[in-house]
Amino acid sequence: MADFILNWLVVSPAFAVPFALAALGLIVAEKSGVLFLGAEGFMLVGAMTGAGALIVMGGHPLLALLAAMLAAALVSLIFAFLVVVLRVDQIIAGLSMVFLCQGLTSLISTQQGWTNRPISGLDPIALWPLSELPVLGRLLFHQDAVFYATIVIFIAFHWVSTRSLLGLRLKAVGENPDAADAAGVNVGLYRFGAVLCGAALIGLAGAYLSVGVAKIWVDGMAGGRGWIAIALVIFARWQPWRALAGAVLFGCIEALIPRIAAAGIQVPQYFMLMTPYVATLAVMIWAALLRSPRTGQPASLGTPFVREERR
Amino acid sequence: MAEPIVALDAAMPAPSRRPGRMTVEIRQTSPAGQKILIRGAGLLIGLAISVAILAWAGVGLGNLANEFVYAIFSDSRSVASVLIQMAPLLIAGLAACVAFRVRFWNIGIEGQMIFGSIAATLVAITDFGPPALRLVVMLMAAALGGMGWIFVPVALKLKLGISEVVSTLLLNYVALNFLLHLLYGSWQDPKSSFPHSEQYDAIERLSPLGWENVTLALPLALLLALLLWWALNISRFGFFTRFVHANPKMAKAIGIPVLGVTCAAALLSGALAGVAGFAISAGIEYRMTQSFFFGYGFSGILIAFLARNNPIGVIIVAFFVAILFVAGQSLQVFYQIPGAIVQLIQAIVVISVAAAEFFIRHRLKWTR
Amino acid sequence: MTSALELSGISKSFDGFRAIAAADLDVRSGEVHALLGENGAGKSSLMNIVAGLYAPDEGTIRVQGRPVRIGGPLDARRLGIGMVHQHYKLVKSFSALENILLANPEGGFARGRATIDTALARLADSIGFTVDLTKPVGALSIAEQQRVEILKMLVGGARLLILDEPTAVLTDMEAERLLAMLRHLASEGAAVILVTHKLGDVMRHADRLTVMRNGKTIATATPGTLNAGELTKLVVGTTTTECAAPAQNVGAPVLSLTSVSSGGNGRRETLSDVTLRICSGEIYGLAGVGGNGQTELAEILMGVATAAAGRIMLEETVNITHAAPKTRRAKGLAVIPADRHSYGLASELSIADNYAIGDVYSGKYGGVLRMKSSVAQSAAGVAVAAHDVQGVRSLAHKAALLSGGNAQKLVIAREFAGAPRVILAHSPSRGLDVRAAAAVHARLRSARDGGAGILLISEDLDEILLLADRIGVMNRGRLVAEFAAPADRQAVGEAMVSHG
Repeated sequence: MADFILNWLVVSPAFAVPFALAALGLIVAEKSGVLFLGAEGFMLVGAMTGAGALIVMGGHPLLALLAAMLAAALVSLIFAFLVVVLRVDQIIAGLSMVFLCQGLTSLISTQQGWTNRPISGLDPIALWPLSELPVLGRLLFHQDAVFYATIVIFIAFHWVSTRSLLGLRLKAVGENPDAADAAGVNVGLYRFGAVLCGAALIGLAGAYLSVGVAKIWVDGMAGGRGWIAIALVIFARWQPWRALAGAVLFGCIEALIPRIAAAGIQVPQYFMLMTPYVATLAVMIWAALLRSPRTGQPASLGTPFVREERR
Repeated sequence: MAEPIVALDAAMPAPSRRPGRMTVEIRQTSPAGQKILIRGAGLLIGLAISVAILAWAGVGLGNLANEFVYAIFSDSRSVASVLIQMAPLLIAGLAACVAFRVRFWNIGIEGQMIFGSIAATLVAITDFGPPALRLVVMLMAAALGGMGWIFVPVALKLKLGISEVVSTLLLNYVALNFLLHLLYGSWQDPKSSFPHSEQYDAIERLSPLGWENVTLALPLALLLALLLWWALNISRFGFFTRFVHANPKMAKAIGIPVLGVTCAAALLSGALAGVAGFAISAGIEYRMTQSFFFGYGFSGILIAFLARNNPIGVIIVAFFVAILFVAGQSLQVFYQIPGAIVQLIQAIVVISVAAAEFFIRHRLKWTR
Repeated sequence: MTSALELSGISKSFDGFRAIAAADLDVRSGEVHALLGENGAGKSSLMNIVAGLYAPDEGTIRVQGRPVRIGGPLDARRLGIGMVHQHYKLVKSFSALENILLANPEGGFARGRATIDTALARLADSIGFTVDLTKPVGALSIAEQQRVEILKMLVGGARLLILDEPTAVLTDMEAERLLAMLRHLASEGAAVILVTHKLGDVMRHADRLTVMRNGKTIATATPGTLNAGELTKLVVGTTTTECAAPAQNVGAPVLSLTSVSSGGNGRRETLSDVTLRICSGEIYGLAGVGGNGQTELAEILMGVATAAAGRIMLEETVNITHAAPKTRRAKGLAVIPADRHSYGLASELSIADNYAIGDVYSGKYGGVLRMKSSVAQSAAGVAVAAHDVQGVRSLAHKAALLSGGNAQKLVIAREFAGAPRVILAHSPSRGLDVRAAAAVHARLRSARDGGAGILLISEDLDEILLLADRIGVMNRGRLVAEFAAPADRQAVGEAMVSHG
């Protein structure tokens, strides 16, 4: 039993990382007041680009991850332009982006023959001597580069959002764009930047799925994780550390699924596969019972900004 | 005088060298003709981008004309296949339309279609009810199945304030896994052992109209469109939905039962989606398959969006989307273009039309 | 004396509507300059141009005699221009310090905070107040929020201060203190522009004034050379003076509240234990500084919020404490809500729809199965004409196209259609010009004389004193005092701010 739990916990970080990165990407974007429903799509863009870049260019997997982030940011330019400049309804724009990305990744990967081709992925890096620690060593200090990067990124975001003008302005833009504008902050620019950075993080989350975990690209492989990340952010009330905790929880749940079957416990397969989605709903309900789901939500989330509006 | 007023030379923005400033202005009205022109331009741009992408993927302009126009309108069988395809799309469009009328973002149409079809198939498999009424019972079951599946998100939104966008979408995945559980389990076709249900009996199918393969599904869809048009544009309920859509706060204060109207419209949406599932299973495939619902969710949203939530408009848009579906299938067969191209084109069209609408609601002003 | 700000020939239009037409303004350093005009005269738009928020279509701006182009709020700040907007531009969840830092980011995050601290310490002497820098500004009172706005502007080194209707939300006492402080800043060399529609403030505190009407600046003068009547005429165009007209036939109570409280834990605006009675044929004026429970009371009466405790009766016999809005309306309650575009109208829908919804349950406009839009249209047409709603090109046009005054007339046309027994009028003349406000007041009086009981909730003490037959005062969610008309202005004002 102890072995079962240890083996389970050791693989959990790999499942938690995509949720954590995607949720943080969403927080970055939504702190600026842009409702970001396209996460599922941008994860796909990242996943496909990561795999494609490895197949085409070879080289170090980290370069592929970088390419994936760039690609997701590039595609998010469309979204940013739609919602920031053209003031398109953010729900419509976000949903359309999901399907745009689904179609685009499917088309490109089929055309390029990237689908179902095994790729070399990321290797774990042992942080000696910490990796020699019992249990914790294997759990936390014998993971791949993205795992370590995720922790650094979270700390960096925490610093920026609480200790810098950049973070202050970002929050102001999401809370009250009129006030930010009157204070000389370029609302459009901040929202554009937030969407791009957010999409890049979500792209990285996606790329980790293909390059880091599965080591293959399959059509639609994000499998709803983008939506789960959106739910996580609501559950976390837009606070990064709570989102990280939620990501770990969901990583553990996901890591548990194949293990239960392997351990010979008889649960119908498709019911097992439902669990992440059911668990997400359950968590959302639980959080909503504690407090209104709007708690912590940036006040202007989903509202476009224009200065010369006459009332 | 105290301290001097700011250091002028350093701080003063240069008066003349800078270019003018572009400002965006909200406008309240624009002529009807202009609106149509702007949306039409958006549509054309979207289609042009789609054509360019297809050309990149190896389908030239000539081939496209062939697949989208010639091959479809040259013989009655192809026209019929468009009309057959149109029926479930039309109903899915109506499902999206009624939900959007009360700002309920039903992204779970596919999940509700699955449960509609499961409920209908359950009736078919168990031979429930008198044979003469079997189809009607299946239809009712499908509507109830879809309604049941949307009930949870509706309750969560109205009681707890949980975003229906996320909850309806998550339930799609749950529904899909439940469908697979049935089709790879107890409902697997005993004859072929393929993961689909056994074939419906003749009385469990929407009967053919006698022209090509077109079945009752199409008249059913058209009838539903008319009924919904009545409900939304003629009845008092429809009048109420307009207020709930435009200003729910005001609607509540003026005495409209906002909760009831929202709930009714959302449940109706689920029921219609369930019927869309039934229309495919009983009107096209004559059994429940494992991916019959695929793509209808977003198509429904697209159809309602382009039809501006008008049920009559939904009929027209559904026809064109049906052409896209049929042409998409032949692109898949003859050019190895993945089926997702249909989604891609739809997304591009939504995006370009929504982007064009900027010019309906805003005016750009250049001031010097 | 140098001109701190000189505007000439400024024009600006929005969506085809000419908000400012060739306006001129000359403000000198060391003076308090009042910009006077009615609601909608273009004062705020003109000042938003100076603050860099709007780009003018035409005209030139000179600061300290030099022509400048103000391309945005940052340019304005660099030019030493600061503005306190009527709706404060504060991030509610931020502390005062964070708000000030946001507007004055020089020196970065950590050092910026220190700089601001010293700047504030220096300023405290000359302005005579301090604010809590650590609390979220959303938790501060309106007057304290205004101080944060003023500090924000002064820390930035503004020498041209624009304040848009700063006294509108303050009590008389707070207003006096603010105006004295502005005088002091002017005496130290700053130029102060006071945008207002209150003649009293202008007569007592301004060095010069400029009057705007219909987007034009029509006169500049010194207050001493004009008397109040002449000034009113300049501002309004004609002299219309409303006179108080007391109630003649006060009848039985039509609305009574007994110990009504709203939920919410001890917030300032939580309603607690409010008991009041309104009789037919009278206007009961409920005075108070905004945010002392008036909105909660209005929402509970409308039926969009429920009372946590207490009882509400219509006509002494009908208990409507938990009734739905529909029932209340059917029993003869009509509502003129404070925010027309929030509770009053569905702005995106047509004028006809907005009218017809008021009486939709009667079946007049068709039954459940079929709405008769033509009937609704003609009824709306008749009502719109009877209530003198201007600017209706077509009944099918959006209600959003109506100006403030006409939108209010449409609301009144709808609400008064059923000869209501009780009328809740919440700030019915907010944002209206004098003529439109007078029209609204006349409607209220005639409804009263027709036997309706009217609850008038208003933050405008002048409006209350003018209209009300009895006056109640709301303070921290309680009804703290009641007066019979004619009431002593001083006494009512004191009840509004007392802390007892």
